[in-house]
Amino acid sequence: MAGINPNPTVFLLMANGQIESAVFPDFDELYCKFSFVHGQDWVVTSGLEEGISQITRRSRDERQLFVWNFPLDITYKSTNPYGWPQLVVSCYGPDVFGRDIVRGYGAIHIPMTPGKHKVKVPMFVPVSSSKLQQITSWLLGRRPEFVDPKVVAQGEGRDVTRVRSQGYAMVSFNIVTRDLKKLGYDLSPSDVTSIPLSSTVIS
Amino acid sequence: MAEVHVIGQLVGASEFPSHSLFCKWGLHAGGAWKLIAGVKEGQTHVDNPENEQAAYWSHPIDVHYATKGLQGWPRLHLQVWYQDIHGRNELYGYGFVHVPSSPGCHTIECVTWKPNGTFQEELMQYFVGGCPQLKNPDLVYAGADRYKLHTTAMGKVQIRLNVILRNFDKYGVEC
Repeated sequence: MAGINPNPTVFLLMANGQIESAVFPDFDELYCKFSFVHGQDWVVTSGLEEGISQITRRSRDERQLFVWNFPLDITYKSTNPYGWPQLVVSCYGPDVFGRDIVRGYGAIHIPMTPGKHKVKVPMFVPVSSSKLQQITSWLLGRRPEFVDPKVVAQGEGRDVTRVRSQGYAMVSFNIVTRDLKKLGYDLSPSDVTSIPLSSTVIS
Repeated sequence: MAEVHVIGQLVGASEFPSHSLFCKWGLHAGGAWKLIAGVKEGQTHVDNPENEQAAYWSHPIDVHYATKGLQGWPRLHLQVWYQDIHGRNELYGYGFVHVPSSPGCHTIECVTWKPNGTFQEELMQYFVGGCPQLKNPDLVYAGADRYKLHTTAMGKVQIRLNVILRNFDKYGVEC
């Protein structure tokens, strides 16, 4: 870690954690892919931006759980909170004929306050617009899917899509930030009570 | 100038008569506020959930405001619409909520309401669908002419918003 910098120009965000598990009542086997999506002012300094997990089977007990325990570890540097990174999770599994189809997409912002967080990510899958398309896609194994899974992390262009939400994933994060306070950003209420000793003149 | 970042998601909605829903949302702020980055209105996808108790949108909101004053703190206003199996859209509710004024992560439940019509309109609604809509959608977040309206309660919208403030303590503002 670099030494103490009295006038930082960038702040750092370190996020580690795991994609713990998922609940999907209708399916038997799943694997998941994750990727991190961020704005233009953000740069990854270390860690993997994308990955694929193992294939796991639903547990036979009353929990009916898919467990991946899949590690996440990424560090960002940025000058601006706009474009705060998001984790995009997409789950895939075999259908009745053995072909790989998408079972859900979900997106969540990396939490902003330092500490430990556990978040529930709802998963949804795009649906065909007509009944005939639904039947042919079931037969041929070519279900509707997004060309780029990262589209679930943005708001534009989604108003014409229809989806079906089915299931959710549990993701846990540990967050550490550096120099956010020195750059003047307040992320939790206690930060805003301190008046700096060197009172700067505001125009 | 002080800056406010509002970063979060429209998570979903629940407690509506049925849950094949989408939401049109917008952010409205006073004259002293300037939008530096981000889109301030949008529309979510239509979710027809497997679990009929709630619809999930996970629609990201990321805006960056700069402000010279506290008046006109931004408000998020919503219209929840229902889409049936034939693709017809029907208004299910209006709602608004202020963006929280303290920094941190906030989970907000926004209540919604639907305007009532006359008895004949309600009868027609029962058979054909549809719903009276506000001529002026600003009424959702302004209180001025509300006393003329008759409304009924509808469901709730779950929103998760993170608020980051910058330079507020330099101006002596406590939040």
